[in-house]
Amino acid sequence: MRLPACASRIIILLLATFICSSAFSQIIRGRVFDTHTGEPLIGANVVLEPIHYTTTVQLDGSFTFRNIPPGKYRILVSTIGYLPSKVVEVETGPGHELAEASIAMQSTAITMEEVQISGLSAGSDHTARRLEQRSDVVQNILSARTIELSPDITVANAMQRVSGVTIARDNSGDGRYAIIRGMDQRYNNVLVNGVKIPSPDDVYRFVPMNLFPSEMLERLEVIKALTPNMEGDAIGGTMNLVMKNAPDHFLLTANGSAGYSTIFSDRPFTAFIHSGINKSSPAEIRGNNYEAQPSDFTTSNLTYYNRPHPVNSTYGVTVGDRFAGGKLGIILSGSYQSLFKGTISDRLVPDAQPQVTPGPNSLNPSDSYVRQFNTQTQRFGLQNKIDYIFNSRNKLSLFNMYVHQDSYETRYTPDSSTAGLNSTATATLISPEYRSTWQIQNIYNATLQGDHQLSDRVSVNWTGAYSIAKQELPDQATIKWNEFVVRDTKGNIDSISNTIPNGTSNVVTHRWEHNSDQDLAGYGNLTYKPTIFRHDVEFTTGGLYRYKTRTNYDNEYAMQANVPNPNVPYTNVWSVPLYFQTPGESQGINTAVNLDDYTAHEKVGAGYIQAKFMALKSLQVLGGVRVENTQFDYNSNMPVTSNERSGTIHYTDVLPSVHFKYSLTSNQAIRLSYFKSISRPGFHDLIPYIDNSNDEFPFQGNPNLKHTRADNLDLRYELFPKLADQILVGVFYKKLENPIEYYVANLYGPSSLYIEPENSNPVTNYGAEAVFTKFFGKFGINANYTYTHSRVTTPKHVIAETQTAGIQTTNVNQTRPLQGQADHIGNLSLLYKDQKLGLDVQLAFSYTGTRIAQVSPFYGLDIWAKPFSTLDLSLEKRVTHHIVFFGKINNLTDAPNKEYIKYPYKTVNAGLPGGYTVPFQDAGSKYTVAQKDYYRLSFLAGFRYKF
Amino acid sequence: MNRIVLALALILLAATFSGCNKWAEDKSNIYAYKAPPPPGGAIPANTPLCGSIKGVMQTGNTYVLGCTINVPAGDTLFLEPGVTIDADSNSGILVHGSLISLGTQAQPNVFTVAGVTKNNAPNLPITQDPAHIGLWKGIMCDTSCPRLILKWTHIDFAGAAYGNVDGPSVEQSSGTSFNILFQNPNGIFVMEDSWVYGGTDDCMRISNGKIHVFRNTFEKCGGSGGDCVNSKGGTVGTVAYNFFIGTAYNGQKASNKGQPVGAPQTNIVMYNSTFVNGGTQIQAGTRAGGIDYEQGAEGAFFNNAFINCRVGYRVVNNPLADTAHLTYGNNYQWADSLVIADQFFTWGGVCTKPMPTDIPNPSLYLPANFYYPDPQQNAYDGTSVVQYDNPRFLNYPLPVQGQPLFAYTAIGNFDFHLTPGSSLIGKGNNNITPLTVVPIDPIYGATEVTLPGVDLGCYQINGTGNQH
Repeated sequence: MRLPACASRIIILLLATFICSSAFSQIIRGRVFDTHTGEPLIGANVVLEPIHYTTTVQLDGSFTFRNIPPGKYRILVSTIGYLPSKVVEVETGPGHELAEASIAMQSTAITMEEVQISGLSAGSDHTARRLEQRSDVVQNILSARTIELSPDITVANAMQRVSGVTIARDNSGDGRYAIIRGMDQRYNNVLVNGVKIPSPDDVYRFVPMNLFPSEMLERLEVIKALTPNMEGDAIGGTMNLVMKNAPDHFLLTANGSAGYSTIFSDRPFTAFIHSGINKSSPAEIRGNNYEAQPSDFTTSNLTYYNRPHPVNSTYGVTVGDRFAGGKLGIILSGSYQSLFKGTISDRLVPDAQPQVTPGPNSLNPSDSYVRQFNTQTQRFGLQNKIDYIFNSRNKLSLFNMYVHQDSYETRYTPDSSTAGLNSTATATLISPEYRSTWQIQNIYNATLQGDHQLSDRVSVNWTGAYSIAKQELPDQATIKWNEFVVRDTKGNIDSISNTIPNGTSNVVTHRWEHNSDQDLAGYGNLTYKPTIFRHDVEFTTGGLYRYKTRTNYDNEYAMQANVPNPNVPYTNVWSVPLYFQTPGESQGINTAVNLDDYTAHEKVGAGYIQAKFMALKSLQVLGGVRVENTQFDYNSNMPVTSNERSGTIHYTDVLPSVHFKYSLTSNQAIRLSYFKSISRPGFHDLIPYIDNSNDEFPFQGNPNLKHTRADNLDLRYELFPKLADQILVGVFYKKLENPIEYYVANLYGPSSLYIEPENSNPVTNYGAEAVFTKFFGKFGINANYTYTHSRVTTPKHVIAETQTAGIQTTNVNQTRPLQGQADHIGNLSLLYKDQKLGLDVQLAFSYTGTRIAQVSPFYGLDIWAKPFSTLDLSLEKRVTHHIVFFGKINNLTDAPNKEYIKYPYKTVNAGLPGGYTVPFQDAGSKYTVAQKDYYRLSFLAGFRYKF
Repeated sequence: MNRIVLALALILLAATFSGCNKWAEDKSNIYAYKAPPPPGGAIPANTPLCGSIKGVMQTGNTYVLGCTINVPAGDTLFLEPGVTIDADSNSGILVHGSLISLGTQAQPNVFTVAGVTKNNAPNLPITQDPAHIGLWKGIMCDTSCPRLILKWTHIDFAGAAYGNVDGPSVEQSSGTSFNILFQNPNGIFVMEDSWVYGGTDDCMRISNGKIHVFRNTFEKCGGSGGDCVNSKGGTVGTVAYNFFIGTAYNGQKASNKGQPVGAPQTNIVMYNSTFVNGGTQIQAGTRAGGIDYEQGAEGAFFNNAFINCRVGYRVVNNPLADTAHLTYGNNYQWADSLVIADQFFTWGGVCTKPMPTDIPNPSLYLPANFYYPDPQQNAYDGTSVVQYDNPRFLNYPLPVQGQPLFAYTAIGNFDFHLTPGSSLIGKGNNNITPLTVVPIDPIYGATEVTLPGVDLGCYQINGTGNQH
């Protein structure tokens, strides 16, 4: 509606600029900011009357009119969400060629809390800087605008742009969890609007952040030092996803885009047929005594077809308004993403035990393969926030969120293409395997919050939250067969025969797994601001109680081929006559009664008291203590003769913290924080069950795990030189007692390696962080760097030939960094922003240094990851006043993820029989490549509409 | 000033609480469920048994398992001679403590499933053979089991999937279904004069332990796969005078894989065993059908007889057996047909060295340039040693008439004792020293360590050796 007027105004402005270009020399300039937050109002319209010149506010918050004829002018500023500015008068002429003005704008939104910012601008990165500056604690913030402009479409991928954060990726290369300051995902909690949300994941306690489309967010806070009023189970940090608030006026935005991953130019997307999958297992339908027949299982999900060149798409719409004279605000936002991702993964698997020749712990690869992942993810998110402002002292808000994700993953593993036990240069037995996984995850959360200012000095706020998170894996199915490849002495293939395996191998498996996590939680806080010794002090006290119920079900059927000998040819799933070799294997009493079939409860009660005051004129002190009590129990359906069929764990923690903020000047400060925090083991870590669904090794839980406790120290210097610029430099130190590390252990059965969580020796973790953000007119640079150093000492096996006792396995201590901790991580983004053209471009580079990917049980054979860097490009161009074009290109350099073992591959080759070499190696290197994952380049482009 | 006092007070408060480790630790406690203890004493035979158990099963009684019985750590289940245990597909014997089954030649003990008949028809498909269904779960020892002793004991029809019986150390993976599992490197496993009939996977998985496996008979062991006496990392002892017929994979195997810290290197001395129709389920080039030494295993194997085994005995070179400490010789092989004789010295990651004491003498059929450290497929022609030097069993026709190879997987009415003139007589090496690591005791150890015999295989013409 306003489009033509606006456009014509811009055209007039442009014409005027050209026509008038060299006639005058006077300049009028100024800056425009929010009176409340001080943030610059980029893009605000500035009109110079009476000559009717217009311009817009630049990235650094400034505007400039050049070549103005001498005279008296009035400056008028307007922008959405703000009251029109007061008229500012300026005068130019001989003797005063430069006139300057500073214009403060009043937001139309009603705000109650100190840092509660509403309105359209709430998601800007300048607000983010202001919040960081004003915050009582050490934190970093990503604004919605930064995320929108970033190359990332999920919150998890956006996380990697935050200082000190690396991301743990899933099979498709998509970020899922954050590693903060070298601390693994277990040490970091995730909140949504300050409330802890349960996870649909069967392994981790906290919500995987790739479930959230980034456009649902107003901002993402990474808080690295905890105050007593925050939940104490974060050692690396707390991530708070602040969802969009209701706007102060009618708002409608919509977007849609399409994209493509170039990995599917090299190969098609391999899909399986989804229809016909039964959501319940035979034992769930017909009882645990029922003897399942092969005919009870569908073959459709083991039937594969190619989808050439699949197209990705994303859609989103947000609508909001405020009614009843501004008292009632409503926002509703929905999004849908359909993404096809693929990975090619070269893997060399170390055998369960190294060789003793040529020396102790000689690397011995057992299998190699080129694995392919094909994943289609459909993600649907709906959220709604309603707030009602009774009066300036009372406010209620209700937040509802529902996220649903279907993901269909086809994994193809041709095991042992060249290296392998029982293989030679001339004959190899390969076991190709397909696995089909339909994963359904959903989360629902309802949060009701109230804020009440009881008097000038006393305020109360409370929260009641109900959440439920579920995951289902209906009929995860695998099929494998034998491929016998015979080569001549020159390595040429003589023959390939595909046969049905009749050994003890399970030819076809079907697994049903589902879990749910339900939380009922109540939070309450009371703030009292008395004046003591004539100075304001803020006392806060409060607590929380959470009752969590978790259930888990796991049922796997394994069938064998009913063929007389190993030479029956294999063509497809229908060519395999299946049967259960022993009847018990078909009955739920054997397959579904296990330790992974359990109900667990966790009751957390916490209380705290904290005080905040100015100890000196420029020294703010915030400190206090929090007590958290945890009561955990689990109960499986195992028989009474089974040890560890149930268990309970109780503990209480006292968590003091103190935070100093010393303001050197108005825009620079030094912060010093100490806090004690904990990390609770995940349910999956505690239940003593072997989970065979892991992609690497089977996983074994440990009910004797203790929770981790940590002392954390933080020192940070911060400078906010200009409105959007910042320089942060800090150091941190953490000491963890009973840290939980995943060990690869040779627990049961000689050939099998298991991953088991264990409490290791105390860990120290320290490092330094630096953040630098600067804008030069249209250009911006945003850089951060983190150095982390952690050390843990654990016993490792050495297997060696001894003089007297033959081959012996002994334990030797080895010191290493924590798993996943990179010494160096950094991000560099270059931004270009042209308000007039409506063009935004960002080139983002992310670097993660060398780190341990997998800890080996054997000395010196840990699997390390090479430094991983990605280069992504994103851009936005305004097409009309309401429509913006955007594009994102990910992984421009096609960087592979490469993992290696510090053992020369030439030595491995020397130990292998006749003329036979390990694949995927880097010529001339002194290591052995254990894994290489390729994701290829992908892109996405679309339009965004904003009313 | 006052503000400083307040600040100091706050710091003091924080410092006080941060010193509260102990307070918090005292409050923490972890409890994991432990199964209740059994009553002990003489075990009544009138009701089905279920759950924790210890005490004595008395002579002549038949005990029915209502569910898996569990011998707790530190306890013993003792079977007097002449005890029968009837199990079913949902039951087995879980051993955290000790199990001693003292059958005698006159009164053997029997672990079986009621109402099932052995079907020894030749060439029976495994899916139609009750031996390969897995009708009960077998004897499942945890890592804490100090002693498993089986004398004159029949273990029939085991091989059901363990399923939910116990923690993960027993149910090693989904579908684990060994007839016998033993896994304590400091524990002893004695098996003498006993019989195992049937199975679905490895018949005896000895993950580690001190073993003495003498004079036993194994029929139809393994299902569509599975080795028979499968010793892994940290197992030491002697395996001798055993008779195997119709095993899926190997009869006797040794590997040092999975050697626990503090456990010895796998060292198995094997002698005087007979393997008939071994490796029914294997593909040449991948496995062996009689004896296999792999990955870091040391020891010795002498005086064995292999009759129509799909693939000859192997010393594996990837991953390499401890060839520097492995000796072998005086091993006999018989082939009805060329497909067997061509695998006397097999291919595919092996380094089995032909020995001049072997029968037939390798110089009869191996070419002079035979490269034993890594032989290729079809490296020699075995035609000249097909049906060479008949062992002349008392009642077993060689070559087999009117049936395909591997048709017979049980003894039935056959008799593999030797007759005078057998090529097995007097060809053995009796200078081999058995590796005795278990006590000699009529109850708590081995009754007899039978020394190597001069006749190849498990039956000696003088009546010693295997007593079945």
